[in-house]
Amino acid sequence: MEKRVVLKVEDLKMHYKTKKGYVKAVDGISFELNEGESLGIVGESGCGKTSVSMTILRLLPENAEFKGGHIYFNDGKGPIDLVSLPEDEMRKYRWKGISMIFQAAMNSLNPVYKVGDQIIEAIQNHYPDLSIDEAKKKVAELFELVGLDPKRMEQYPHQYSGGMKQRAIIAMALSCDPKVIIADEPTTALDVIVQDRILKEMKKIQQKLNMSMIYISHDIAVIAEVSDKIAVMYAGKFVEFADSVTIFKRPSHPYTYGLMHAFPSVVGPKTELTTIPGEPPNLLDPPKGCRFAPRCPLATEECWEKEPEYREIEPGHWIACHHPLKVGEVVKFDEQK
Amino acid sequence: MSKSDLILKIENLRKLFPAERRVFGKVNLFVHAVDGVSYEIKRGESLALVGESGCGKTTTGKILVGLYEPTSGRVLIEGEDVTPYLIQNKKRVIEYLKDMYLNKFKKGEIPSSEVDKNMYELYKKLGENESAFINHFMKDRGKKMIDLRKKVQMIFQDPYESLNPRMTIYDIVAEPLNIHNIGTIKEREDRVADLLADVGLTPPDSFLFRFPHELSGGQRQRVAIARALILNPTFVVADEPTSMLDVSIRTGIMKLMMKLADEYDMSYLYITHDLAVARYMANKIAVMYLGKIVEMGDIEEVLHNPLHPYTKALLTAVPVPDPEHKRGEPDIKGSVAKPINPPPRCRFYDRCPLATKECEKLPHPELKEVAPNHWVACYVVAGDVKAK
Repeated sequence: MEKRVVLKVEDLKMHYKTKKGYVKAVDGISFELNEGESLGIVGESGCGKTSVSMTILRLLPENAEFKGGHIYFNDGKGPIDLVSLPEDEMRKYRWKGISMIFQAAMNSLNPVYKVGDQIIEAIQNHYPDLSIDEAKKKVAELFELVGLDPKRMEQYPHQYSGGMKQRAIIAMALSCDPKVIIADEPTTALDVIVQDRILKEMKKIQQKLNMSMIYISHDIAVIAEVSDKIAVMYAGKFVEFADSVTIFKRPSHPYTYGLMHAFPSVVGPKTELTTIPGEPPNLLDPPKGCRFAPRCPLATEECWEKEPEYREIEPGHWIACHHPLKVGEVVKFDEQK
Repeated sequence: MSKSDLILKIENLRKLFPAERRVFGKVNLFVHAVDGVSYEIKRGESLALVGESGCGKTTTGKILVGLYEPTSGRVLIEGEDVTPYLIQNKKRVIEYLKDMYLNKFKKGEIPSSEVDKNMYELYKKLGENESAFINHFMKDRGKKMIDLRKKVQMIFQDPYESLNPRMTIYDIVAEPLNIHNIGTIKEREDRVADLLADVGLTPPDSFLFRFPHELSGGQRQRVAIARALILNPTFVVADEPTSMLDVSIRTGIMKLMMKLADEYDMSYLYITHDLAVARYMANKIAVMYLGKIVEMGDIEEVLHNPLHPYTKALLTAVPVPDPEHKRGEPDIKGSVAKPINPPPRCRFYDRCPLATKECEKLPHPELKEVAPNHWVACYVVAGDVKAK
């Protein structure tokens, strides 16, 4: 059975205007997300991964300028381009269509309101016909779903532990029955045992409700746990996109290769870790050709001159590189550079 | 083993923080942040102290650099008791000396360990005179406290907060030399330039007169490392030095720290929550839970053959960067309790899958060597209590 494409992003561009010029945080991003599928976006800080999600939800600061692209959202009634919608129409899709678990979610609860009331408020905003008792019942169900005692609805955020706050935030993101949830570093500040429980809970809920998820993280180990497909982002662009096994077992982009080999693991033999020399480019004035060229050991003149096209090298495997790696090829990074 | 082979030895270290405020009367509630921790680091070794947030790993590190005072316990650096110089209050130093040495000597107890023997000899040399013994530790106290700082340095977690934004890189790295009054200005300049080159900030001249805000996170952490190394410390407390850095930068810092440990002949006490990073940075590991070490040993041995139920749960919960790897379910109940006046039984009792009725009645288990160089604090694992 062909799965329905819930979210399709085409050549998305969003730049931040600063005194020194435009910061090209999102610079031509395209991807498709199927129903019930999870996509992991992995990249280092400042690569624009959070900006992608903010652009999709149109939650942008004042200095952000939308520079083009399309976001097609399909909740079963046919695709709608979210970009073309006026703000009051967009509000209907935000949270009800696509919701988000924000970074540092533990601090995004209001300390002076009861946790239950904060979620009821979100529900009543989107379902004005629902009575307060019905909303309460719904919140109680959501609490059960995320593994919180419904009695805790009457408590304030400071009475929650970090993991419990994270669960409450997930309940809030689920409150309006979204089709897509974007989770931005959902477990970064949590201890491993709590992180493990939250990730498993999220996976379980996703399967139960047949939702689509976009996970955003710098931690490839977390992404490996939860994602069916992985997009590797570097300097405002996707450099590689494939199913998670392909990304981990036979990466084609040298950056993906470097990233995969820079991560220590507690299992398996202790392998030598790679270091990618240099630093990510300044997005005010990114390199003319491939943005990874200054750090890439395989870069040729072509890489410095011409930007590589983002293309499909095998079904479902996209890459932006002039010299894709062959299977089993070893890349030696010059650490002194 | 010769005396200097043992870089650091900690015996029964405790640190309690008052958990309530009283104007009059005694404080009764204490947070047992570090509660009877003992370990040692031999020359050429590094120890990784791992555990979840709030387990007391950072407090242990801060005691060693003198940022917190120990409540009780003894710290030996290169075989010498430095505890008197870690305690600020002179009255408490005297109490410590009496408890640890004088009262025992007077009772005629024969000292067994090397330190105790040295102390006993000192006591006899001073004519078995109590006040002369105490005086020995009191005179030149300020200088000795400063000397201790030279041996132990610290690298902090966040390079964005640990460097003074108003100082140039040269001033930051040279400050320890100024404080300890080492070398002429010219010598200091050369030393700083050499060290910047060693930590990979090349050419050093282009960094000397820049300010921290002009550097990236990785470069800042390199500056912090240079500052920690400029006095040639015996060992360095590294408190999550790579957790704020990006993956591609992080391995660079990790490799640099390993290389420097070799070149400068020093050891790390590497504090981290990340078991995978610990594996690369140390050859010994100590797993902490609520102020106690629950498992300790050679790192590969502990990671491949964890015995304590907490270590097992922790290892199962660590995500693995391999989508085909299937992890099990961590066998652990509930969540971490607050260590305020904890009951005397095993700290892990409430969450333990192995806990038996006997465990509840017994005090917290001591570390026991169950395999060569592999220590576990658990009655069931050690076979002292029958498993369920």
